[in-house]
Amino acid sequence: MNSELRLRILHMVCASGEGHIPSAFSIVDIINYLYEHQIDIESLRSGSIDRDYFVLSKGHGAVALYVVLEKYGLLTTFELESYGKSDSILGGHPDTTKIKYVEASTGSLGHGLPIATGIAMGLKIKGINRKVFCLVGDGECQEGTVWEAANIASNQGLENLVVFIDWNGSAQQLMPIENLSEKWKAFGWKVFTCDGHSNLALRQTLLEVSKVSGPAVILANTIKGKGSKLIEGHGIWHHKIPNAQELRQITLELQGA
Amino acid sequence: MPSLRPIFAKTLSNLGALDENLVVIVGDISHGLLGDFRNSFPNRYFNIGICEPAMVGVAAGMSKTGLIPVIHTIAPFLIERAYEQIKLDFGYQKLSGNFISVGSAFDYSKLGCSHHSYADVSLISHLPNSQVFLPGSPLEFEILFQKAFKQDKINYFRLTENSHDIEIERKSIKIGAGIKLREGSALTIISTGAALRNCILAATELEDLGHSVEVLYLPTLKPFDSEIVFESLRKTRKFISVEELSSHDGLYNLVLKGSLGLDGIKSKQLAISDFISGYGTYAEIQTRAGLARHQITRAGIDLIGK
Repeated sequence: MNSELRLRILHMVCASGEGHIPSAFSIVDIINYLYEHQIDIESLRSGSIDRDYFVLSKGHGAVALYVVLEKYGLLTTFELESYGKSDSILGGHPDTTKIKYVEASTGSLGHGLPIATGIAMGLKIKGINRKVFCLVGDGECQEGTVWEAANIASNQGLENLVVFIDWNGSAQQLMPIENLSEKWKAFGWKVFTCDGHSNLALRQTLLEVSKVSGPAVILANTIKGKGSKLIEGHGIWHHKIPNAQELRQITLELQGA
Repeated sequence: MPSLRPIFAKTLSNLGALDENLVVIVGDISHGLLGDFRNSFPNRYFNIGICEPAMVGVAAGMSKTGLIPVIHTIAPFLIERAYEQIKLDFGYQKLSGNFISVGSAFDYSKLGCSHHSYADVSLISHLPNSQVFLPGSPLEFEILFQKAFKQDKINYFRLTENSHDIEIERKSIKIGAGIKLREGSALTIISTGAALRNCILAATELEDLGHSVEVLYLPTLKPFDSEIVFESLRKTRKFISVEELSSHDGLYNLVLKGSLGLDGIKSKQLAISDFISGYGTYAEIQTRAGLARHQITRAGIDLIGK
């Protein structure tokens, strides 16, 4: 679990008064792992179409992506500190037209996976051997376009597409999706599960993914708000900004972790 | 009255050979007609199935990789159903692509309102980087598409199955250019796409009755040729707009904007103001919408008498 990144998220959100802290805490370990071990950072810097791709489909987790991009030198500290201000390139949902290293302007759910599918198809047409990663929320799996794209990707045999589901149980408190794993299997995907907060589990699972052909989906067991008992789980904290006392409490929890 | 689909297929085959970035994505339609493209460029042809919103998102992803997507299916499903994908994935993200619809407003006249589309042109026009074309004959499509498809734009071509069958001079067909087909002084009839046919017939009727009628034709609605409209209305001060589009936002509004600065303009709008329920031939649905020859002629007589 990346406490430093979580502290960065927490302080950015509190300073600007905008952000989804629990959602960001849920996905930050996955995103960090991808940028640390899977994505060729130099290929991103080149700006070439011949690069690795990461699409954050659940755009409200944007701050998790911003802090990771900062960590790997793809956003500056100055840019992060401007987050949420009127002249900033960074806001509550990511904007690809403002940030070179954000692949898609997401926010409205159900858009990222079709776009990632199209990128994966485009790379195959062009004969470019790169991976496309896409992170989708489990609540987002209630969007029809997720399953439209799931159909297309398996039909096209996209072995260059790897999807993570942030399986934090958001869907369960809305309209429960039973047997999510079986559903992806039925759509023709290779399905894996792992602990979405463990580098070791992510490494082992991605190794397994690399051995199969066809699109792969990893149901990543995550905890919404992971790292702070105060905000863990579902409910009021989804889009709530901590007050000074709560900020101290969450900070202490993260520092103690 | 020929369909524009064969020239669409032929144009794609020609351009597909010249540009290896051209990719065709269809939503389970026109696969027979596009057989030549599919056979020539099998890795650049996708019948993606019946899932229009994801089809648009996929096309946006392809556009990100430098490909030039051509996305094709029936107008209400392509534009109205998938509008949020077009708005966000292409518009907001500033990606370019070519949307080619069939069915126009009510070409599927015997299939009912589910296959009609009245607001498609308005919707695409709202996107800052868009161009909107309603070619009414094969030559118009061929020329306009060739010029537009590689521009860094969201291009919308609304194909018709009912070409207007009026000869348009090749050299007058340009992006954003209106065309003056008849010169007159008492009234201007203005139309776009397939609606031109009845306008020409009505203009002839009005001329036979002794009225001098000017006919303007605008196969491009965005960018809109306000200048040709202004010049005509400065002379006639009266116009009828005839459009297979929603009366709430279409050709009439564009013409009114084009006439800004001119006093005393009198006008009539012939457009679609409600669901055109029921079934029938194209001509019958056209009449129900108020866009038939005799309805244009009647509107012209009323307006000239004012």
